[in-house]
Amino acid sequence: MSWMKRQRLLGYVFIAPNLIGMIIFMLIPALFSFYLMFTDWVFASGQPPHFIGLDNFRMMVKDDLFAVSVKNTLLVLIPVPISILFGFLIAVMLNNRVYFQKTLRAFFFAPYFTSGIAIAFVWMVLFQPTNGPINAFLRAAGITDPPKWFASPDTAMYAVLIMLIAGGIGYNMIIYLAALQEISSEQLEAAKMDGARFGQLLRLIILPLVSPTTFFLMITGFIGSIKGFGMIYAITQGGPANSTTVFSIFAYKKAFSFYEMGYASAVSWTMFLLILCITLIQWAGQKRWVHY
Amino acid sequence: MNLKLSRIVKERIGKGIKTIIMVLASLLLLSPMIWMISTSFKKAKDVFTYPIQWIPQEPVLSNHIKVWTAGDGFALYYMNSLKISLILMIGAPLMAALAAYGFSRIEFKGRNAIFVLYLCLMMIPQQVLFVPKFIMFEWMHIYNTHWALILPGLFTVFGVFMIRQFFMSIPHEISEAALIDGAGHFRIFMKIFLPLSKPVLATFAIIDFTWTWNDYENALIFLLDKKLYTVPLGMQNFMLEAGVDYNMMMAAATAGVVPLLVVFFIGQKYIIQGFSSSAVKG
Repeated sequence: MSWMKRQRLLGYVFIAPNLIGMIIFMLIPALFSFYLMFTDWVFASGQPPHFIGLDNFRMMVKDDLFAVSVKNTLLVLIPVPISILFGFLIAVMLNNRVYFQKTLRAFFFAPYFTSGIAIAFVWMVLFQPTNGPINAFLRAAGITDPPKWFASPDTAMYAVLIMLIAGGIGYNMIIYLAALQEISSEQLEAAKMDGARFGQLLRLIILPLVSPTTFFLMITGFIGSIKGFGMIYAITQGGPANSTTVFSIFAYKKAFSFYEMGYASAVSWTMFLLILCITLIQWAGQKRWVHY
Repeated sequence: MNLKLSRIVKERIGKGIKTIIMVLASLLLLSPMIWMISTSFKKAKDVFTYPIQWIPQEPVLSNHIKVWTAGDGFALYYMNSLKISLILMIGAPLMAALAAYGFSRIEFKGRNAIFVLYLCLMMIPQQVLFVPKFIMFEWMHIYNTHWALILPGLFTVFGVFMIRQFFMSIPHEISEAALIDGAGHFRIFMKIFLPLSKPVLATFAIIDFTWTWNDYENALIFLLDKKLYTVPLGMQNFMLEAGVDYNMMMAAATAGVVPLLVVFFIGQKYIIQGFSSSAVKG
């Protein structure tokens, strides 16, 4: 029996490497940053951190960048439902009857899978205001004064949103396709026999059955959008005139351009709170439309 | 007879039309990437010609050659990125699999508490951790080294969840019988669980590879030395220098995307299965 007991203690050995890593690289930094957000610490200033209570938050609320980042962070939520909708429509079409289903699935998924800094730079050139392909197309279509996209504070955010919508569709499609393939064809056939049109089929059977998937995609999509940094920062660094500064860029600038570590910690925890709130709101709302 | 035949024909036409619509839609989504590749072979004067030249009229290789040979060329960034990505591609699944086995097959005190801790950690965005990690890495003397990306990268909550999910689907009788026969947990893990979970390990390894390959934020914060730059940072550096040489920029972007495309087409089956199953059941 002592051998069995020893085997049970092995549980700690199995978990230890991962757990120690988690503690060093996640738990301790999280606690450390939680402490820092109540201090005025500036890195490399030679001054030790002073406890200043909630002053960082008072300062933040008055910061011009705060208002801009809240607005922009809420704006980047818009692509989520849009790319979910497109992803769903494509999944329904692919799941229906098409030739080359698997090849098409790969075609749709590839842009998501490869998206990253490289593709962000491609978008930057596509949106080039004077001669870029997108504006060349718009001019050819008769729009004499097309938007300046990333080059103007008024339109930079639109370019960001278009880029995010295009990038998310493939993922949503793949997840929906998997969900659709689990719907029994008997159920659909039976409904068809009863004379249901495709629209009814969609509304009364398919949508309710995939609602847990929609819920999952909304939750994870919003979280991912709020955390998003790289593709936007690589193109605009938050500009022009801070017009594309989202929360993650706000926090990054405070920390690594100005080295205001206490303040930056407060900003990043506020971002966490925003994620938490939006997730909880969705969680509370799920009863109304998610059918398990 | 005739009626039936015409119905089949009609169905095929419908299917064909749907296929054409889908092909066009997928090409639309792929068009940035197609444009990137085609522009990388263009001469500077052909970059912005309209209508767009999807196939360059006078294709040249010079952009690609310059990207790979200029200054701190892409060869160096590639080596750095490959080194980090490959280490993590092997290390991260192994670390995650060990923990996943502990969580799914051994009952020990505090297991559930630790699991809840993992769930909490998963909710914290990376951005919260950047400031303290930056300071800690200075103290640990791993700031501005590849270790700053490798060490934290070895430990993923996602990997633990994904592999644990798979381990739970392996019948308990198997490990219990082996245990009664006197095989220890390490042997069961090595001889039964690892071989059985090859597909899920491969899936996670591929996903982890793409994360690491695309990881821009960590590299931006923790690497200073140009010699240490990974592909995303090197690419940004290159963009700043390239200015308006868009054909060169696109050659650099192509260099950054190609490994992902290769991985995608080789591991397509694993990738698509992995993405769909981890989400639908999660």
